[in-house]
Amino acid sequence: MKTSVLDKNTRLVIVTKGKNLNERKKLDIVLRIIGLIFVYVFLICFAFFCLLPFYWMILTSLKFQDAQHYQIGNDFFIPFDEIAWSNYVKVFQVNGFDIPNLLINTLTVVILSTIGTFFITVFASFAFTRLQFKGRDAIFFIFLATMMVPTELFVTSNFITMYRLNLLDGRWQVYFATMAPFLVNVFYIYLLNENFKQIPNELYLASKVDGKNDWQYLWKVMVPIASPTLITIIILKVISGWNAYAWPKTIVLNDPAYAQITVGLRDFAEFYIGNGAERRELVTLQMAGTVIVTVPLLILFIIFRKFIMRGVGRAGIKG
Amino acid sequence: MEILIKNLSKIFKGDPKKSIEDTIAVDNVTIDMKDNELVGILGPSGCGKSTTLYMIAGLKEPSNGEIWFDNEEVTNLASEKRGIGFVFQNYALYPHMNVYKNISFPLTNLKVEAYKKENKIESLVLENKLLENIKELNEVIISSSIKNKISKERAILFLIDKYIISPSFAKRLYSYKLFLIEDNTLLNNRVKEIKEDNLKEIENIKEKYLRKDIKIDEEFYLVDRNNERIKERRRLSKDEIDLMVREVARLVQIEDQLDKKPKELSGGQQQRVAIARALVKKPRVLLLDEPLSNLDARLRIKTREEIKRIQKETGITTVFVTHDQEEAMSICDEIVVMNQGKVMQSGKPIDIYKNPNNLFVAKFLGTPPINVFKGLIKEDGIYVDNEKVSSLKNNDYINKEVYVGIRPEGFILNENDEDLGISLRVKEITLNGKDTTLTLEHDSFLGEEIKIVVDSDLALSIATYRFKVKENKMFVFDKESEERISIE
Amino acid sequence: MENKNNYKGWLYLLPAIILIVVFTIYPIINTFYISFLKDYNYATGASTGFTLDNYGVILGFTEFPSNITGKGQVEAFLRYALPNTMLITFITVPISIIFSLIVAVALNSIKALQKFFQTVFFTPYVTNIIAIGMVFGVLFSQNGLINDIFNLDISWLPSAGGETTYFHAMVVLCIELIWYEMPFKILVFIGGLQNIDKQYYEAARVDSTPTIKKFWKITVPLLSPQILYISITSFIDGFKEYQAIAGLFNARGTSPLSYNLYTVVYFIYDQIQTGGRNINYACAAAIVLFLIILLFTFLQYLVSKKRVVY
Repeated sequence: MKTSVLDKNTRLVIVTKGKNLNERKKLDIVLRIIGLIFVYVFLICFAFFCLLPFYWMILTSLKFQDAQHYQIGNDFFIPFDEIAWSNYVKVFQVNGFDIPNLLINTLTVVILSTIGTFFITVFASFAFTRLQFKGRDAIFFIFLATMMVPTELFVTSNFITMYRLNLLDGRWQVYFATMAPFLVNVFYIYLLNENFKQIPNELYLASKVDGKNDWQYLWKVMVPIASPTLITIIILKVISGWNAYAWPKTIVLNDPAYAQITVGLRDFAEFYIGNGAERRELVTLQMAGTVIVTVPLLILFIIFRKFIMRGVGRAGIKG
Repeated sequence: MEILIKNLSKIFKGDPKKSIEDTIAVDNVTIDMKDNELVGILGPSGCGKSTTLYMIAGLKEPSNGEIWFDNEEVTNLASEKRGIGFVFQNYALYPHMNVYKNISFPLTNLKVEAYKKENKIESLVLENKLLENIKELNEVIISSSIKNKISKERAILFLIDKYIISPSFAKRLYSYKLFLIEDNTLLNNRVKEIKEDNLKEIENIKEKYLRKDIKIDEEFYLVDRNNERIKERRRLSKDEIDLMVREVARLVQIEDQLDKKPKELSGGQQQRVAIARALVKKPRVLLLDEPLSNLDARLRIKTREEIKRIQKETGITTVFVTHDQEEAMSICDEIVVMNQGKVMQSGKPIDIYKNPNNLFVAKFLGTPPINVFKGLIKEDGIYVDNEKVSSLKNNDYINKEVYVGIRPEGFILNENDEDLGISLRVKEITLNGKDTTLTLEHDSFLGEEIKIVVDSDLALSIATYRFKVKENKMFVFDKESEERISIE
Repeated sequence: MENKNNYKGWLYLLPAIILIVVFTIYPIINTFYISFLKDYNYATGASTGFTLDNYGVILGFTEFPSNITGKGQVEAFLRYALPNTMLITFITVPISIIFSLIVAVALNSIKALQKFFQTVFFTPYVTNIIAIGMVFGVLFSQNGLINDIFNLDISWLPSAGGETTYFHAMVVLCIELIWYEMPFKILVFIGGLQNIDKQYYEAARVDSTPTIKKFWKITVPLLSPQILYISITSFIDGFKEYQAIAGLFNARGTSPLSYNLYTVVYFIYDQIQTGGRNINYACAAAIVLFLIILLFTFLQYLVSKKRVVY
């Protein structure tokens, strides 16, 4: 430069180790490899941290345990011929932990509530994105505002409502009470809105020209186009239904026969063998129970991981 | 800095599983870029020009070949250690930093190697010098006032701009508030007082150093007992960074935008900031990736002149990549034409224009583009559609079909009805003022329409005319290899 | 035409509106209303007027009335639930955010196996918190794996046989919560990181920026919208912690003899599920929780105005 604020004797240098060029190049390669190894070791350690509970759950569920052999040990592997497959038979015979009944309750509620949520969400999103009517934006704003309020604010009042409507006794009443407050999910509606909005308006107009009415347009055009998002919504709903604990627990106080599987599992954790000082937890059977509750979800996750991760991740990217 | 690229190649590995084949982006390229030159790498999109630039920058690793900066081989050197300035196509200005922070960012990563200097004494001496002309100093401060009110920040900025001094120094000058003293005698007394204080302080500092056996020479460097200046390696001080940022901001003319965020600037201004950020660390090489592609047409012409000016002022070897031949032709000292990963030709723009090596280069350079006809070389010259256009020939190609390329400015209206020439049907006449562009037709023409440029004095109408061809504007190419054929 | 559309729009929205009004909007108003009722009886809906005592009792300003049962349970709100909730939130949220950010950055820096690791890291998200609480119970039991590996003999959890300390139980709870909360954060951060233009990093490389500085000066500011989002949602989730405790400790530490592992939301559900069913106190607690969440969200919003880059 013609005039420089730096002295002519001054030289800008890059902060670097290694005296000459070749040393610097070698250092680059070495540092890059060390960095890469470090990153992979770190990630493998973290993966171990993530998976350890699952592994331990399955492993423990396959170990032998009875009143005489209470100690189940902490071996990381068990020989194939010492695997206690019988735990999975025994767990079905535990008195008071009625797995078939719990599964029937849970599957019924999950299936019905997923179907309900699906239709409610599709209808609401269709109204919000394709139909013009007075008050539409105000309603959507109110919907969004309810997302800000924690669900714990509703439970006391909802419990009273269910109590007054006599929904705490009887199979279908309890099922209904279990799912009703969570049939509408504003986040799902929001997710589907974003997807429906991307469908060009021309398609709507074109279908009108073809003589399709709104109902046909919704099911023949919009739902197929938005099917990836709808699959995401269905799976998220199934997962949250399967995992629900706090509200189902509150609802089945009067009628434990209609409890969800998580509620049953939690109660099962309080079961013991023996009495007094000899009282022991049924660890291996408990783990067999948790495997039965957890593995269906893991399978669902492995099959649909793209849909699940995309749907969950979307929440964050939109901010 | 001279940049030498030797047999450079870049192969992007395909994926055999998905049956994606390897793609050769850059194929055995050798270029020699001389010191202090503005070099343009020119070619259509996908020709490997940007990949070449990224390899010079160290942002992509070459598959083969070498890159030399002067006599250092930098091929495998990390980009961080190459000391280059890079202007990205979409500028890549950090959106969360203002312009000042963006420009100063590279400096915060650098160290400086310099002789140790006693800055305090230097600024005291400079202060005394500035105080000699107290009138001017006060005028500068007063000139910063808005509606007769002097704000500290503005006054300091004015001082920095006027005297090219550091902010802390300017703050000190301002803090004396000499502009408030109206009485001349009082002012002079106060100035004298300050000067004497300064001199005293200088003596104090010098004494302290003397005790450590260190002297200070007339340029304020510290000198040890062997009379040698003491060297040090340190981070840049805030004041130095400030001075350098403002210097480069002045060079690219954005000194009044320093507080803004990139989002608040126009495309042209963002471009300048990007160049300033690349230049502020005094790079060995400046690399620009399609620097003008995001600007509108008018700004593009202005900015390319700016790039030329900045390059000449700084003298830094500059390489830029573009697909616009006009851009490259107008400002480059040297251009490299690339196609499909290979260098087609390199040299001074005008030389390449006058002497294209092959059909691709001939077609790529020049607006309107060159007109290419199917031709035939016979024993007595070159024919296009049974019309003899030239008596020149190449004996190796007798009775062979060739391509004949004629620049738009290579046609002269054949008024005297000489026997050499080509008949063209005029379809459209566009008057440009100093010349006229004709759009014409011919059966042996390859492509859509012929465009030629003729003198605007000619009165032409929609009809068929015969044109003579200037022989230095006509090039003949092999039909297979598309390489140039010499004719004589 | 427009009238017809009007009616049609409302028809499509009808199921959603009915359910939201009955199970969300009405409960908000009703909870607020009940929290001010005196001598409220949930079975009959009867009350004897308005009072601030519900808030007074749970926050310790007013004596618990002597004519009803459930004294210890209600007093545990101020003694245990509120401090525990704060403690759990302020320990697990910062740790899990920082750790998730590091994992996400590490994950984003590799090419091979990236998708595999991403899937592995996400698995805890889909699991059942009650089930996983029981697994952590086994891992941290006195004869369990953790004691074995680290050669300890600590009674981490309140178990059938042994006693434990509050500190040890809290440690296990926080580890489980961090394990459970990280997948979502990592996923959001990875999404954010992949949205950052790679050219910023190339520019930083050319400018010789050290790796750590790239992280603080480029990654963190450009990821600030996601960091804010995660920080707000995880503080809210932290304040609402309940199911993890239910899964990990079961009834122990949260039942009449000792409430020392209580949380605010645990208190709310417990009032409905057990004891005196003093639902008016649960309503007051829910409103207090809501106010705490509002306050923290607002504080984070204030901080974000300065720091977040959109």
